[in-house]
Amino acid sequence: MGKQNDLFGSDIEKADLIDKKYTAKIKAPIYIPKQRNPSIYELVNTLKSDSLIEEIKKSNVTNLEKDFLIEAARRHTVFNYALIADYYAHANKEMQELMEKSALVIIDFDKAIEYGYVKLSEDIADQYIEDTKDAE
Amino acid sequence: MLNDFCAFILTHGRPDNVITYNTLLKHGYTGPIYIVIDNEDKTAPKYYEKYGAKVIMFDKVAVAQSIDEGDNFDDRRAIIYARNACFGIAKKLGYTYFIELDDDYTDFRYRLNSNFEYTCVRWDMNIDKIFGILLSYYQSIPFLSIAMSQGGDFIGGDNGFFTSIRRRKCMNTFICSIERGFIFNGRINEDVNTYVNLGSRGGLFLTIPCVSIEQVDTQANKGGMTEIYLNSGTYVKSFYTVMYSPSSVCIRMMGTHHPRLHHSIAWSNTVPMIIPEEVKKR
Repeated sequence: MGKQNDLFGSDIEKADLIDKKYTAKIKAPIYIPKQRNPSIYELVNTLKSDSLIEEIKKSNVTNLEKDFLIEAARRHTVFNYALIADYYAHANKEMQELMEKSALVIIDFDKAIEYGYVKLSEDIADQYIEDTKDAE
Repeated sequence: MLNDFCAFILTHGRPDNVITYNTLLKHGYTGPIYIVIDNEDKTAPKYYEKYGAKVIMFDKVAVAQSIDEGDNFDDRRAIIYARNACFGIAKKLGYTYFIELDDDYTDFRYRLNSNFEYTCVRWDMNIDKIFGILLSYYQSIPFLSIAMSQGGDFIGGDNGFFTSIRRRKCMNTFICSIERGFIFNGRINEDVNTYVNLGSRGGLFLTIPCVSIEQVDTQANKGGMTEIYLNSGTYVKSFYTVMYSPSSVCIRMMGTHHPRLHHSIAWSNTVPMIIPEEVKKR
């Protein structure tokens, strides 16, 4: 993931989500939330949607059409899911539950995804040995 | 042989060139294979002649009426219909799990060696065993689908793909379950539309980087979706995903020798993070 793929222009998730160089280590697709509790204002970027909504409000279309267009404009709101996960880690129980219901984070219950991924990688490595033993 | 599992090869107009079929056999696949074609395929008799009872035909218009194609065109030369039809076909045949394969795979390859180092050396992979390992992981996690990686993921070497959040994509070799049904959307670029659109709402998809497929060069293979791509180029194709997720997908130029427009996904703005349970307050 290069710089061009980061709409927020933030360095935070870059450092946390990817290794710049392959480390020969199995890494499950799990994100570890950071110590820093971001401001709730950092979680979304509404620049584009706000601009669209402003234009819609000033327009002469009917109120029903405005309502529709405003809903549609929110599709342009950019969510920063790394910061959202950081925020979740510091949120209270009620906020956490609402965030989960809205699929703003995914919980890896019982480490099924993480441990399963390690096992999967090890099993494939074992099969690699099996499939290449005559050739090596 | 794997239990309760089958392989579907999705194909159209290439009865003499279903490359994946032989590739599966070459890699020792012993499970059931079905050739999935649609009822608008003029070459259907040839498929039946060659593959007999392995051929399963579905009604393209019926599937079209049950999904969001994302436009108001009527050109159905696209794979989205077969992708969606497979769930119903699997159910009808009595399988819980299945893998959807395109028809142009020339090889299955390891991308990590036993020391977990990137490799591009070709070995004879036992695909029965690999499918079994992938299926076992899929059964233990709540993902909608997982897939092997593809050669293009490793252009320029490993390219960080093993650790990148880009692994949340899912293309080509969809391992699915009729118990975790989902709908592919958007006439073309349906795989990207789906993992982006459903992924942004919490639907989980994953690419397993350790193993990959190799394919015939894009748009070099007659039949399939080649004609629809050649008609509209990648310009129209790429915009489907922008329509589904304008907040996190844009269009950029890709490639150097033959530059073409391609979608570009801002992953950290597309899919919610998977986080450890310990973070959750009780």
